[in-house]
Amino acid sequence: METIALYMSAAFAVAIPALATGWAQSLIGPAPAATLAEKPEMSVTVVLLIAIPETVAILGFVISVLILMQGGG
Amino acid sequence: MARIRMLGPIEELQPVLGRVQDIGLVHLVEPSEGESLKRLDLTAEQDRHIRSVRKVAEDVHAAIALLGEMPTRHARTTEDLTLARAALIAGRSRRDLEALDQRRQELEEERALILKFRPFFSTFRKISESGLALEGIRVFYLVLREGGEQELRRIRVALRETLGDGFELLSQPSESGEAAMLLAVPKASGAKAEQLLSEAGVQALSLPDQFGDDSVGTTVQRMQTRLAELPGDLAELDNERTRIASERGRDLARIRAYVEDHLATVEAMEKAAVTPRAFVLEGWIPSAARADLERKLSKSFGDTVEVEAISSEEWSGETAPVVLKNPRLFQPFEAITKMMPLPKYGTVDPTPFVGVFFPMFFGITLGDIGYGAVLGAISLILRLRSQPYTKLRSISEIGLACALFTMIFGFLYGELFGDLGHRVGLHPIIFNREEAFFPFLGLAVALGVVHIVLGLFIGAVKMFRQDKRHAVGRGMAGVMVILIVFALLAAFGMLPERFFTPLVITTLVALPILVVGEGILAPVELVSTLGNVLSYARIMAVGTASVMMAVVANRMTGAFGGVVVGVICALLFHLVNFVLGVFSPTIHMLRLHYVEFFGKFFSPGGAQYQPFRHWSPRENNAVEERSA
Repeated sequence: METIALYMSAAFAVAIPALATGWAQSLIGPAPAATLAEKPEMSVTVVLLIAIPETVAILGFVISVLILMQGGG
Repeated sequence: MARIRMLGPIEELQPVLGRVQDIGLVHLVEPSEGESLKRLDLTAEQDRHIRSVRKVAEDVHAAIALLGEMPTRHARTTEDLTLARAALIAGRSRRDLEALDQRRQELEEERALILKFRPFFSTFRKISESGLALEGIRVFYLVLREGGEQELRRIRVALRETLGDGFELLSQPSESGEAAMLLAVPKASGAKAEQLLSEAGVQALSLPDQFGDDSVGTTVQRMQTRLAELPGDLAELDNERTRIASERGRDLARIRAYVEDHLATVEAMEKAAVTPRAFVLEGWIPSAARADLERKLSKSFGDTVEVEAISSEEWSGETAPVVLKNPRLFQPFEAITKMMPLPKYGTVDPTPFVGVFFPMFFGITLGDIGYGAVLGAISLILRLRSQPYTKLRSISEIGLACALFTMIFGFLYGELFGDLGHRVGLHPIIFNREEAFFPFLGLAVALGVVHIVLGLFIGAVKMFRQDKRHAVGRGMAGVMVILIVFALLAAFGMLPERFFTPLVITTLVALPILVVGEGILAPVELVSTLGNVLSYARIMAVGTASVMMAVVANRMTGAFGGVVVGVICALLFHLVNFVLGVFSPTIHMLRLHYVEFFGKFFSPGGAQYQPFRHWSPRENNAVEERSA
């Protein structure tokens, strides 16, 4: 039972931030896409804007690894 | 940079501009306002002349674009070239090349149309041999997909209902499995048949106009003949274009340089201010080159033209143009810096730091001898095929640096296409990334601490001359990041526990200094800075994902029964991993630099240094070349 809880926690720790990242990126996405149509030279800024929320997923991944390590999984 | 003012009699304006253009070091700007100074007004004749030059410029650019061959040698403007002759050559070349282009498009379209019929040539020929007479009737060439017998019967029934016996439908299976059909109806019933076919969703091939009225057999014959002739016609067009390129390419390059120079002079004249008798030109020049400019102008114009320096009290660094100047080793990385707005004049150019940290972080993330070698090979090919001073050349050189670090860290991790390295005798020197998550995370965060603290210290040093209080605050933020990290290490037992209390006390003592230096919100910013440090965990996250995917790829060899299938799957998976492994770290490392690192000291907003000089095909890059 504990093992299941451990793996579930690790999975949720990465899944929820990943979903949140996806949601944030879906909100951010249309604006840069519209910007690119008019100013293609903004492509770097656009990629950065879209990449910013990914921190949440990455931190989620780190937490997930920590849970697995601490739990001996 | 030094700001200078050039003064002289108004009749010397044009010759002076010509000389300044030859020297090619002055970035002209509009002079500071003055009551007696006014902008130079162009006469109606000058206006007409400029319009003519612009028209020639348009023609020559269009002609060179259609020619598709950029003359590589720099074509200097020569005095024997007149505007009338330039207009004649540019206009005629543009017209000729546009006509060639139009003809090429027509031939390509014709070929594409005939190729559509090609699979059915033999089929339609067999139909034509059936002795069908085609005078006064309309022919539809149809294609029915494989297994469409039922559809064919339905069409036959529908045609009989609508047209009675007034049609002929012949079908013949083609080599591709589809059925080629020929429907012949009286011309009067053509519209009805067309509608019926459209309702049945049958694809009708439309014949090119020139084949429309012949019998099927003749049409097929003529199409085959035409298909054989087309490559020759296209080659003839290519020869004609090559002839124009060899006959007029050099002239077009000269004309382009001539009109661009001319337009640059017009733009420069618009920046001049005049009084009834004198002109004033203002601009920026690298401080070291000022004496040289004065000497050259004095040699050409004697005492009639005066160059004076404008005191730094009259201008601010905000308006001075900027040119990035780095050692050859770091020059490719200017491409990364330039993707952001240029740094302001007098602030720090982050390129050398990018040149060190970007490939290193990339290598730590990807860290695989095999992937590094592939990346190196691709970068080398790009390097050999790219022109100097182009973006592609910079990207290839950055790729080479990244490949080198990837191989170094691949060796340290003992990785060659994932865990294949372990199987051929490579052993991890620092840690095995498949298992050592904590050491890898520790390394990533430690790199974050170094990078962020370096950024804070650079910001402090840069700020020290203008605002000492803020500079101390910024430096203190860097010190506090270090103190907090050491305190955490002591708290988790990675440093002797006796260090914990002194470190916490020192941090608390430093806090008021930080608040005095950076303001009341400084503690909040400090927390955000610690968040920035944690953001470097992505080095570990992306790196671990990459190595795990490589391990999965290697396990595929034994997972599909057959070795061959397994090896193919593994290679494909490695290919996917390689593409992701290059793309993902690039995006993440850019983000770490632009958001986390640059955010600590970078001041964007500098204007590009664009000296008034003779036009050259690699205009933008020449600025860097000269300044290097």
